[in-house]
Parts: sequence; C-alpha cells; structure tokens
Amino acid sequence: MTYFVIFLGVSFILGALAVASNPSPYYGVVGLVLASVVGCGWLMSLGVSFISLALFMIYLGGMLVVFVYSVSLAADPYPEAWGDWGVMGYGLGLVLVVVLGVVWGEAIDFWEVGVVTVDGGGVSLVRLDFSGVAVLYSYGVGLFLVAGWGLLLVLFVVLELVRGLSRGAIRAV
Amino acid sequence: MNPHAKLIISLSLITGTTITISSNHWIMAWTGLEINTLAIIPLISKSHHPRAIEASIKYFLTQSAASALILFSSMINAWSTGQWDITQLNNPVSCLMMTMAIAIKLGLAPFHFWFPEVLQGSSLTTALLLSTLMKLPPTILLLLTSQSLNPSLLTLLAISSAVLGGWMGLNQTQTRKILAFSSISHLGWMIVIIIYNPKLTLLTFIIYTTLTSAVFLSLNQSKILKLSTMLISWTKTPMLNATLMLTLLSLAGLPPLTGFMPKWLIIQELTKQEMTPTATIITLLSLLGLFFYLRLAYHSTITLPPNTSNHMKLWYTNKTPNTSTAILTTLSTLLLPLSPLIITMT
Amino acid sequence: MSPFHFSFYTAFTLSSLGLAFHRTHFISALLCLESMMLSMFIPLSLWPIENLTPSFTLVPILMLAFSACEAGTGLAMLVASTRTHGSDHLHTLNLLQC
Repeated sequence: MTYFVIFLGVSFILGALAVASNPSPYYGVVGLVLASVVGCGWLMSLGVSFISLALFMIYLGGMLVVFVYSVSLAADPYPEAWGDWGVMGYGLGLVLVVVLGVVWGEAIDFWEVGVVTVDGGGVSLVRLDFSGVAVLYSYGVGLFLVAGWGLLLVLFVVLELVRGLSRGAIRAV
Repeated sequence: MNPHAKLIISLSLITGTTITISSNHWIMAWTGLEINTLAIIPLISKSHHPRAIEASIKYFLTQSAASALILFSSMINAWSTGQWDITQLNNPVSCLMMTMAIAIKLGLAPFHFWFPEVLQGSSLTTALLLSTLMKLPPTILLLLTSQSLNPSLLTLLAISSAVLGGWMGLNQTQTRKILAFSSISHLGWMIVIIIYNPKLTLLTFIIYTTLTSAVFLSLNQSKILKLSTMLISWTKTPMLNATLMLTLLSLAGLPPLTGFMPKWLIIQELTKQEMTPTATIITLLSLLGLFFYLRLAYHSTITLPPNTSNHMKLWYTNKTPNTSTAILTTLSTLLLPLSPLIITMT
Repeated sequence: MSPFHFSFYTAFTLSSLGLAFHRTHFISALLCLESMMLSMFIPLSLWPIENLTPSFTLVPILMLAFSACEAGTGLAMLVASTRTHGSDHLHTLNLLQC
C-alpha cells in the first residue's frame, strides 16, 4: 500500500511536469486531469474520502469546461505534444532543476515512508474529514459566508469583464 | 460600469482589505488578498480598451501567482512547525519565499516589472487605488512577519527598489509611469526601516498615501496623462497647478513640506542603528527621484509653452476642484510642524 | 522530508517554474496556476489528518472555492483578450512595455 501511494505521488509530479513543460493547451489539460485523478487516488488511499470526492467532482467538471474553452479559443494549427523538441527541452530542463535541487539540498529521506491515514487517531463514529467539513455549517459559518461572497463577487467580475455584446460579438476596441 | 457591480466591487475591496489586515491566520490573510485581487480587476479593465485588458491580465497573473506563493510558504511553515499564526513564521525557507511573494505583490525592485505597465493601462483613479489601497494588505503582512525576516535581504530589496525606481523613472514622459516608479522608490524607503522600527514603516505608508493621493487627484482634475498635457494644463486650473508643484516637491521630500518627515525619521533611525552607509546610499538615491519630480514641477508651473489659443485662460469652465483634493493638498504641504504629534500617535 | 512531502513540493515548484518561464498561450498559464492550486490542495487536506485536527478540514474546501473563483476570472479575461487582441497568445500583450 505504501508503495502504491508513492507511485501515486510520482504520477502526481509527472502530471505537474506535463502541465509545466509548455505543450499545446489540449495536452496541458490532459496533464492536469492526470494530476487531479492521481491526487484523488492519493487522498482516497489515506482515507480522506469526502474531500477527495469534492476534488474529483469539481475539478474534473471544471477541467471539462477548460478543455472546451481551450479548443474553441486557443486552436493551434499544429498542436505540440510532449514528443516535440521544444516541449521536451522545457520538460528536461525542469527535471534537471528538480534533480539539482534534490542533490544539492540533500533534503529527501527515502526511508521515511510511514503513512498516517485518517484513522490515525483511532476509529470514531464519524470520519475525521466528514466532521471537519460539517463544521462549515456551524462554527465555520464565517468562512462559508466569505467563500459565498467571493463566488458572488466573481459573478459580477466576470459579467463586467466579458460585457460588450451590444457592440458586436468581436469587439474591435 | 453597472452601479450594482460597482457597489459589490467597492464593498469587496473594503472587505478584502479588512479581512487581511485584521486576520491572524494565514488562510484568512490569503482569502482577503484573493478577494482584493478579484475585486480590482474589473476596475482596471473598465474601459475595455486593449491596453486595459492587457493591464488586467498582467495584474491577475502576477498577483495570483504571488498569493499562491504566500499560501504555499505558510503551508511549509505549518508542516514544519504546526503553526498557522501570521506572527509565528519560523521556517527559514518559508521566510524567504514569503519575502519574495510579498515583494511580488508590492512591486519591490527585482519583481517590479508589472507595476508601471499595469498603472499605465488603467485610469488615474484606479492607478491611485493600485498604488495605495492595494499595497496596504501586503505591507501589513510584512509588518506582522517582520521579526522573522532576513535583515540583509530586506535591505538589499530596499536599496535595489530605490535604485531602479529612481533610475527607470528618469526616462519617462508618462505621468502614470513616473508615479509608478516614484511608488517603487518610496516602497524602498518603507522596507529599509521595517526590521528596526515597524511603526516608521506605517508612518511612511500613511504619509506616502496622502501625498500620492493629492498628486493623483490633482492630475485627474485636468486629465494630465503625459508631460505635454501638463505643459498646457495651467490654462485650465492655474491655482491647482501651483499647489501641484508644492505637492510634487513634497513627494520628493524637500524640507519645509510634509514629505520630508518620513525621510528625516528614517535617516535618523538608520544612523541610530549604526547603518550609516545604508542611510547615505538611500539618501543619495532619492536625488534620482528628485530629478524627475523637479521636471514634473517645472512642467506644471514654470514653463509657458506656445499655446493654441490666444487667451490665457480656456474659455470653457472646468469643474471646480473637489474638497478631498483640497484637504489632501493641504495635508501634504503643511504637515511637517505637526510631526512630533504624528510620531507619538503612530 | 519524506517522499510524500517531496512529491507535492516538487509538483508546486514545477508548476510555478512553468508559470514563470515563457508560455505561448494565456490558457496555458492559467493551467499552470490551477496546477499550483491543485498541488497545494493535496497537502492542505493531508495536514489535518497528520495533526488530527478535524476542524481544519474545511480549509481545503475554502481554497478550492477561491481557486474556482480565480479560474473563472482567468477564463473571463481569456474571452476579453480574445475579443480585444484577436488571440490569447501572451506575446501579443506588448502595448504597455517601457
């Protein structure tokens, strides 16, 4: 199980690398989807089921929207995947930076692989993350209101930013 | 802009600033910063001109990357110490990253490239907001964490801001860019003292806010966006131009005016801390700033360029300067005798 | 630093480096931002497990809400820049340089 979680961690890094190495946006979305699915699996294998579920639903739903956007607005005639030389150069450069950081910092201890799961504090009636998220409706209602205010604000921000349909679909100035 | 949207946005600006400056948990500080960033974006892109959109994109990318860095460095701190308290920033790596992230947010010197461009793309009132209100939360975060930050790094940031703010402002003809570089060099003065006397940083911030608000509002009165417009602006509001000269000299920090007070106090405090070389360097660097302030002042009052009309005064009447311009101009010229009172208050 | 810490620190570093270097498309920069947020979400949700503080579990949800806000604003600016500049290439944003 521990090795499976380590495998998920490595796949998570690979997902981030796939986004960071500047491919065409279609493929970048694929990297982000890989990272989010692997992240869900990671949280799930440690027992954080509710937050993992929220991540899965919201992130993959959001990624679908981003994918449609990128197809509609950022259409490249010749999309670059990771086999392309430029993208591969970026990827190798980033890997080199990470390897240099690890070697130079000597920070990583490969033998410290103990995993703390959600049941680390003993088995209880309600799982830890369930009870934690439920606090959002009682003591944490301030945070709930702040998040709601932020989403309302974004509604108005988006409306103000994309206004201008009255002057035609494509606005010259 | 739609009045409902304007209401929501101005409320959010106030809310975000208040949340950040009154929080003691990193998550809430981050939340306030995010709300602030999201709320200012429609104000920057208000005119929907390509330049405005470009300014808002640049602002968004830098600010959201910087706030992600803030959250990440506080998270490193929490993983290593178990603390989410703002004042308990003990991990050295997270201190370093936090200094960088706040420098990006404020526009301190090696990370300042976004600031003049964003100011150039937005209107004068939004530029005023960007250089005063939007700098308050990061400054407060820097004040709260100032005990654990690295002094030599901060001094380096401060001196490089003073250098670049003065130097890059020399070649500009656009008033918003000149004021952006002046803001960068003033930030250098704020940061150089933050370890030794955080109250002085706050005092400098307040005085700088007063001065730059007076300048921005005076410029907005006659719509001065570049030096050539400034040359003929005396035909619109002659009296305001005379006070604009005084305000600009006060921003430069010349002795009988208000702007001298923070510089005086900072130099005194630095010499008390036996940092005379730093004080000398930063004082000499403010001469670079003095050059472009003097040029602005010269263009605003002393020159009489060839004018298009034969009349001395434009025949159409401008709207009269509003009360806040008058109050801020008065404050920014006459406050120096009150400095003992102000020092004891802060 | 255990391998788990290593993996999310590295993921964050990689995606922030990717944002800092040259990007062709604006949406590609937005993807990097999202990836930064994702690689902060995982450790933020593991922190309460490690430290047995259930009430901290609501923080990743809050963070997810605000990263959704950022993504929404970013996509709106993508639309706006496509309308004004004709594309979302970042090298077209050169009107304001000194």
